[in-house]
Amino acid sequence: VTDEEDAPHGLAPLAAAGALDAKERARFDEHARRCKSCRDELRAAEAAVARLADTLAPVPPRPELRGRILAAADRRLRGRVRRTRFVSWLATAAALALAVAFLVARVQRDSTRAELREARQKLTDMDTLRDLLARPDSRTAALAGLAAAPRARARVVWDPASRQAVLLASGLDPAPSGKAYEVWVIAAAAPVPAGTFQPDAAGRAVFRLPALEDTTRVRTFAVTVEPAAGSAAPTGPMVLAGAAS
Amino acid sequence: MASDIEKLMRRLAAGESSALGELYDLFAGRTNALALRILRNTQEAEDVVQEVFLQAWRQAGRFDARRGSVEAWLLTMARTRAVDRLRRRSSRREAPSETAVAATEPPATEEALAVRKALEGLTPDQRQALELAYYDGLTQSEIATRLGQPLGTIKTRIRTAMGRLREVLR
Repeated sequence: VTDEEDAPHGLAPLAAAGALDAKERARFDEHARRCKSCRDELRAAEAAVARLADTLAPVPPRPELRGRILAAADRRLRGRVRRTRFVSWLATAAALALAVAFLVARVQRDSTRAELREARQKLTDMDTLRDLLARPDSRTAALAGLAAAPRARARVVWDPASRQAVLLASGLDPAPSGKAYEVWVIAAAAPVPAGTFQPDAAGRAVFRLPALEDTTRVRTFAVTVEPAAGSAAPTGPMVLAGAAS
Repeated sequence: MASDIEKLMRRLAAGESSALGELYDLFAGRTNALALRILRNTQEAEDVVQEVFLQAWRQAGRFDARRGSVEAWLLTMARTRAVDRLRRRSSRREAPSETAVAATEPPATEEALAVRKALEGLTPDQRQALELAYYDGLTQSEIATRLGQPLGTIKTRIRTAMGRLREVLR
């Protein structure tokens, strides 16, 4: 393998076939941004390889998918105004992912089992979050910090279909000794407990909620300070609350 | 035909949802077939179809007909998303929950025959390397490991296969 062959220039056919790994592909894309002939090559190669699908018999999706896509497109059109705020929130999510990566690196160094488990859990939570973000039907609620924690902010993102939900928080003080933060989902009647969490040293948390019970009626999410084991109904001060947008 | 598609894409970029319905009717079957071939799971394939058409809805303004066909654009998005899911599945070591995909008669259209002819012009090794990359989402190094061949050999096979495809299918 010569150096020339390994240079990004000339990798278009391999990129189009999908044979590059993520790092190689990123290097190629970076190069192609400055190299018109590579961009043209990539497009031509992608068009040729997409023709492989001509040998597959078309498979009509189930009939209800068409309506679901059109409805989601319609909602997106109406949601355009809200998008800018969503983008800044995505930046927060990216920063959190980075923080988790740092945690993993530190844990690999210190490598105690409990920490490893915790890091794995966080990675799973980030995976869930990324999946939720990618779903066009997922919804979000913004939670504002209340008088007990004015600097705190949080978002809950959830998918009504799979009932998965993740809470992302920042600006939280460490919970008092023997206490934890507890999440509440308010749908129809009384708040339903949705698990306890502790923020990290930077005051941030990514917390996967247990599967939501009644997604169609979810209205409000809240966070209170409770005994570390959790309460069945809120007893401590409320630090965060917000409604579904 | 080409100009009809261009008109359709302009309406799509303007946010006309009826245009999205028409685009869907034209290409959903093939998009789904490709996603299903890669993922072998009906639900996941339809999730990909939904993501692809919503991405087309968001990015229609960026589509440039001079640079390639709408179909290639949609299928490239579908392939990327389907393979991402495939890789996520294997990184989580999830057993693929495969749906039995009903064997369907391959289409006998002129386009299909041209592609089949192009594929027949490849050696079995070249074709295998191309399909492992395109349909199974394997990187060139993974293919080299799986087949017990040097990386350079695999690169050459894929490059040659791509070159032939382009020659025959221009």
